[in-house]
Amino acid sequence: MTGATRHRANWLVPCAAVGALLTALPVCCFGADDPREWLEKMNKALATRNYDGTFFHLSEGRVETMRVVHRVRGGRVTERLQSLDGSGREFVRNNDELTCYLPDQHTVLVEPRQDRGPFLGSLPQFGAAVNDFYRIESLPDTHVLGRAAHVIAVNPKDQFRFGYRLWLDEKTAMPLKTQLCDSRGAVIEQIFFARLDMPDTIADSELQPAVRTEGMHWVRQGPSRDKASAALSAYRASELPPGFHLTVQGAQTLGGASVPASHLVYSDGLATVSVFVEVERDAAAGQGAVPSGSPQDAPMQGLARVGSGYAFSTVIQGHPVTAVGEVPAQTVEFIAHSVRIVDGNQVPSH
Amino acid sequence: MSEQIREQVSAFLDGELPNSETELLLKRLTRDAELRESFGRYALIGEALRGTSPGVLTKGFSSRVNRAIDGEPMPAAAQPQRARSPRWWRPLAGVGVAAGVAAIAIVALQQRAAAPSLARLPPAAVIKVAPGMPVADSRPVVGATPAPAALTAQNREALSYTVPVASAEGASVMAPARLTNYVFAHSKYSSGLGQRGVLADMLIEEDAPAPVPAAPVKRAAQ
Repeated sequence: MTGATRHRANWLVPCAAVGALLTALPVCCFGADDPREWLEKMNKALATRNYDGTFFHLSEGRVETMRVVHRVRGGRVTERLQSLDGSGREFVRNNDELTCYLPDQHTVLVEPRQDRGPFLGSLPQFGAAVNDFYRIESLPDTHVLGRAAHVIAVNPKDQFRFGYRLWLDEKTAMPLKTQLCDSRGAVIEQIFFARLDMPDTIADSELQPAVRTEGMHWVRQGPSRDKASAALSAYRASELPPGFHLTVQGAQTLGGASVPASHLVYSDGLATVSVFVEVERDAAAGQGAVPSGSPQDAPMQGLARVGSGYAFSTVIQGHPVTAVGEVPAQTVEFIAHSVRIVDGNQVPSH
Repeated sequence: MSEQIREQVSAFLDGELPNSETELLLKRLTRDAELRESFGRYALIGEALRGTSPGVLTKGFSSRVNRAIDGEPMPAAAQPQRARSPRWWRPLAGVGVAAGVAAIAIVALQQRAAAPSLARLPPAAVIKVAPGMPVADSRPVVGATPAPAALTAQNREALSYTVPVASAEGASVMAPARLTNYVFAHSKYSSGLGQRGVLADMLIEEDAPAPVPAAPVKRAAQ
């Protein structure tokens, strides 16, 4: 299906595909109303402007009110995301350090963060590869929050991925409203601003957490100590939904586990799916004489909703396999089911 | 919901509420959980009425929203019937908190909630929700609620989703901690706006969870 099984890149080296995707297409190629140009403007605004807004997050019939503050000053980005509905949870990002205040858990988590994308996210550039699987178009202009808005739809061309609709402020290109939709156009998740200011300056006090941290448990994440092993590199998705290809491979030692799991990342240029194979764990271990790999013996199988996407777990050749991503259920199922050993004598039949 | 607030909400969703009133509405919404529920329904119904042409707000949209609220059959699309993930693991999902941090945080979380996990399934089984499922989320999940009379294709699909069930013997091998950690690990690579949704999810307060003793999580890995 794709070249995924041919990849044998070095461990822990992200493949170039993601970077290449983000490489800017010359903006001059697009007309003034080209939706791709609008998305580029949106990404730039989200990453480089000062803003302070309150927005609603609607998902699964639930609505939450949140505030985001984003400041760029002297090349330094400080950002704060806060729940206004009572949990008291907040995130504060200072350049590449993310602090999560979870007062209801009496915990503060601090971790280095390499991706410096804004809390509100961004969309990758729409190169040729993405155009094969998504149709991007401008819809008739409208008004949101009393402002003129340019509307862009990113429609998936098949059922293996989700799409977006974005209402971008004509003046600032800020996303006043965004929706995540399935291939039939049904809205899965929606965010829209009730208030959005873009002040020239933002005071430090606006970026301070409101949480009182006395007595809270601080947890600081140290450097990763994952090790590679030959066994971890032996797995690949033998088949993939159209357009998906391997972009990253590595090993992750997950919380609570003593050995690393193989981590593969597949992308169609917009959506990503992670696949985890617990290579060094035998699903049948400690569960009697049932032949490994038998569905009856599976420690866990099935589908779960995670955020705006899905996770699907199964057992392949005796090892637990989980695929997770912001994609439809069938995509994680498809990919998880296709995982095979590609080394040695156990090359998959297809 | 009073008529005045209803009008405010409608006007807000139509993009016609003056800024000053929007501020008031916001304040009210952050204080009033019931109002937020209604607001959520309004917004969902609005999307359903607008159908697949969200860029066009039709005239009379607000009144149609009101009619819909007042008891006319709600369009199927306005009734989300997706399987919900257990909320207890969400608070951390997507931060990209790596292994060690996640493990500690999860311990904290597990003290407050049962350990729902993905079900261990017989092959090709249709998933059933265990009655009295001790998930932290008190809102209905698919299968726990009566199926609507007219199922859309989407709803039918949703009914086949696995929903978390009470941890059964052997089924928690990979249980919640593992799933949570997978989501952490994935979130570093999660694309574009998807990450935003995950982040927003993380800030969401859990529904007041009924304290349920946590099932011990078995670790087959060791």
